[in-house]
Amino acid sequence: MPKLTIDGKEIEVPSKTTIIQAAEKLGIVIPRYCYHPALPVSGNCRICMVEVEKQPKLQIACYTMVANGMIVKTNSPKVLEARKTVLEFLLVNHPLDCPVCDQAGECKLQDYYMEHGQYDSRLDDTKVKKEKKAFSIGPTVMLDQERCILCTRCVRFTDNITRTNEFGVFNRGDHSQLDVYPGKQLDNNYSGNVVDICPVGALTDKDFRFKCRVWYLDKTKSVCPGCSMGCNITVEWDKSRPHQDKKTRVMRLKPRVNPDVNDHWMCDTGRYDYHFIDKNRILTPQQGDNLISWDQAIDTMAQTIKPLKDSGHLNKIGILASAQLTNEDLFLIRKLFKDTLNGSQIDFRVPQSLGASDDFLLKADRNPNTAGADLILQPAEDADLRDIIQKARNGGLDILYVFGHDLVKLFGKNTVEEISKNVKLFIFQGSNVNETCGYAHLILPSAVYAEKDGTFINSQHRVQRIWPAFTPLGESKGDWEILSLLSAKIGAPISYPNSEEIFDDIASSLALFAEMSYEKIGDQGMMLWY
Amino acid sequence: MENPNEKRRQELEKYFDKKGPFVFLRVAQMKRAWQQKNRRELTWWESTYIPTVVSGIWLTSKHFFRNLTLHILHTVGLFKDIPASATYQYPEQPRPLAKRLRTRHRLMKREDGTPRCVACMMCETVCPARCIEITATEHPDPNVEKQPAEFILDLGKCVYCGFCVEVCPEDAIRMDTGKLDTSEYSRESMIYDKKRLMEE
Amino acid sequence: MSDILIKFLLASGTLFIMFNIAGLLTWVERKQSALMQDRIGANRASIFGFKAMGLFHAIADVLKMLSKEEFVPAGANKFLFNLAPYLSVTFALVGFAAIPIGNQLIMGARVIELQAANLNIALIYIFAMMSMGVYGVVLAGFSSNSNYAFLGGMRGAAQMIAYEITMGAAIMGVIMVFNTLDLQQLVRAQGEYLLGGWLPKWGIFVQPLAFILFLTAATAETKRTPFDLPEGESEIIGYFVEYSGMKFGMFFLADLVETVLVAALMTTLFLGGWQVLYLHPDGFHFPWGAIMTLPHLAVVGLGVLAFFLKVSFFIWFLMAVRWTLPRFRYDQLMNLGWKILLPVSLINIAVTAIIIILLR
Repeated sequence: MPKLTIDGKEIEVPSKTTIIQAAEKLGIVIPRYCYHPALPVSGNCRICMVEVEKQPKLQIACYTMVANGMIVKTNSPKVLEARKTVLEFLLVNHPLDCPVCDQAGECKLQDYYMEHGQYDSRLDDTKVKKEKKAFSIGPTVMLDQERCILCTRCVRFTDNITRTNEFGVFNRGDHSQLDVYPGKQLDNNYSGNVVDICPVGALTDKDFRFKCRVWYLDKTKSVCPGCSMGCNITVEWDKSRPHQDKKTRVMRLKPRVNPDVNDHWMCDTGRYDYHFIDKNRILTPQQGDNLISWDQAIDTMAQTIKPLKDSGHLNKIGILASAQLTNEDLFLIRKLFKDTLNGSQIDFRVPQSLGASDDFLLKADRNPNTAGADLILQPAEDADLRDIIQKARNGGLDILYVFGHDLVKLFGKNTVEEISKNVKLFIFQGSNVNETCGYAHLILPSAVYAEKDGTFINSQHRVQRIWPAFTPLGESKGDWEILSLLSAKIGAPISYPNSEEIFDDIASSLALFAEMSYEKIGDQGMMLWY
Repeated sequence: MENPNEKRRQELEKYFDKKGPFVFLRVAQMKRAWQQKNRRELTWWESTYIPTVVSGIWLTSKHFFRNLTLHILHTVGLFKDIPASATYQYPEQPRPLAKRLRTRHRLMKREDGTPRCVACMMCETVCPARCIEITATEHPDPNVEKQPAEFILDLGKCVYCGFCVEVCPEDAIRMDTGKLDTSEYSRESMIYDKKRLMEE
Repeated sequence: MSDILIKFLLASGTLFIMFNIAGLLTWVERKQSALMQDRIGANRASIFGFKAMGLFHAIADVLKMLSKEEFVPAGANKFLFNLAPYLSVTFALVGFAAIPIGNQLIMGARVIELQAANLNIALIYIFAMMSMGVYGVVLAGFSSNSNYAFLGGMRGAAQMIAYEITMGAAIMGVIMVFNTLDLQQLVRAQGEYLLGGWLPKWGIFVQPLAFILFLTAATAETKRTPFDLPEGESEIIGYFVEYSGMKFGMFFLADLVETVLVAALMTTLFLGGWQVLYLHPDGFHFPWGAIMTLPHLAVVGLGVLAFFLKVSFFIWFLMAVRWTLPRFRYDQLMNLGWKILLPVSLINIAVTAIIIILLR
């Protein structure tokens, strides 16, 4: 294990570590453009140059392996001068587009210039103009070749991570330009990642284009609810300037580094599936077509459930829980309908055809918490939703309580119509309007994942935390809060001050969750005890 | 031997000669300092306040009769060149504005009539009153790329700090219309949109 | 019957004139202050394009105040709240009844005193009415259910009581010199001449100290700057802070009516009332011997004119003081009233008494 000194601090790292990685362990961030921890080293940008004692020239930190007794300086005058020079070269042909560039604010060129550059331009010639300014290179990404600094991160990403080889650098010298190969389009399912790794504004997101300036964004850690992979993400939202993007709150999703789950990446399916957070939402409880208050809604539910509870006809209650719910929500369903109203029929497994999947991040199961629902609700092995639906159609149920499932899409219009006729109280609780709402007797608005505090369990059986970014839209409430209100009305109160207490309760009552807490889960998740 | 009070007086006079809006403040400041330095007990006669009251009324009366006479003379067309009042009759006779004064905003135009603004939202970001709301959209010319779909400036909120002008990288917003009196019957009409700002 | 008619005409005439002067004073105050401060003053209100030097502002003000909401604060004593402005105006107005505006007018066998009420205790009557004015202030402050108004009322009461004593003591000298309480008699007594007929025996010459004392105390009594602590329009809030519309207007009016009353009183007591210098009932008798006879009506008319000119001068003077001097601090106000003006006025009485006895 070589031992080296970086900026006067000693550290021992495994051999075959580069200086940039060693410095990172010490908390020293060396500027970089072409270096990316998840990509092969290219060493073309030269901004990461550091001074290594007894070496006559500066070395690039991203490709120089550490050696025993090495003494590295990352902030010596020579290094700073080198950075300044590199920046000057990079900016020779870089257009002054910052006002119109979506990357402005999170652009490494801007950042390093403010930190190390700050020189007056010595350039007398006009900048090299490329033929086209910004143009589309695929369904999700725009390319601006003038802004490109040719770090080749995107080329290496498509070559090594997705292996789709769309990008290449063409021509030589100051004519060299980044482009997709002729006749090709950047249309793989991970194309959004090239925008994330691009250190400048050459590759920008079409979805985010001109929507909002990045410095307006607030960031909340979360987990992608798009599939059972549970990629770690950051929800980037803006509430203080509602005129941006027509009053929507969430502006974009970005992957969050978690080496055990998604590393640095996320798929486009998950990345662009956030519009439901602000659009097409159910905002108030409804009874048929009438808007009602929460009190009235809960009363209506309690009036139907209470007689069943008192008379013991609990098998007339059907619950269609969902694997989109958090563990906390599911735990309250379990407590209310399995423990208190023992005998109710609960299931969450949908007999739907699975979505597309690949061997990287996208999973066929499009629910984020199938594992959690399985563990907490523990339904019968070979049953699924169909049994309950069948019973409801035949009039065997007084109450059908649906959590977010679009039954029309799953079972067809006729079935749902029959259910609506034969079931006394058909409750739909969900965040967004769908066709099933039209048949439900009672519609309850619930919060979406970005408004909830809770945990998901992904397909690796890793418990991961989601944080609430903002308060629920309109009058919608978290699912467990609604259930808690209901439980109070039917005379079996289950009340918790917040979801953390619920999780503590889960941890103490389910063995697999033993000794877990929000604090221990943190932002990187925690595996279940097996 | 130089008299320190005499020196002070000369210093004061120097300031009196200088023209400028705040000279009188400085003079008052220096006078106060001079008085504090040369503070003394009032004599019995002074402590009755009668001399100061009389001199005060004498001064105001002097102005009163001087202006009264001038007004009367003006009505018969005499001595019109000597003003009887030091004020501006505002709407008819506006006060000359300083060149650098920050007045109502305007948006600059390109040669083809589109706004010079590229919707970089620097002004929106820097605005301490949050009175600017920009929504961006694509510009037909790919070399311009971005333009404001809407540029809303709420003059009811604006504090006329001029930060928006200072921060604009395109010199697209200026505060040089010379219009200061924005008065409307409703708050909504204080909100200026892109069209209104470009007309200015 | 005709006696009553004449009295009625005289009384309503006086009231009419005083009311109009008071109304005009709003304009005078604006214009005078403007001229003193090198401004132009109110000049915007116009009727069909005529601006009349801003005279219409007085009308505009009244119209505005009449059309404003009469707001009564919650928890206010409604009866007293409504009563207070009427008290203020009424007690300020009734004082004029005893002010002589001219000498007696002889029409055939009828002798008409140009005075609404010939009271032999006119001075006491006026002082009684003026001191009643404090009720308006106190009631307004008390009934508004507002701490600011209440404190303003308290300040007003304390100030008016303090200065009323000085005012009363100051005129004692005048009463002693002229030996009467009847104002018409008092004015007539001022028609005599001193120093071989050169100097009129006006109050200001026989009682100069009393004049200054009375001037100060009367300014304080009318609550005008520099003694405007009860109202403090510009910053501290006074007893009528809760009033709006015409009720506020009535306090405003009372203020101006009091100004006119004090000016008239000062004219009567110290400046010979309707006396014109060297004018005797049959014409001018100049001290150097020249005589200019005038008809009776002209003499009386000159007297009335002189009275109003003198009143106008005092009004101008009070306004000038109001727009020149800054407000006193409260402790200074009280010190001035109790520790300076009162003792000085008492000394004035004693000295006057001694001189009168010595001269007898």
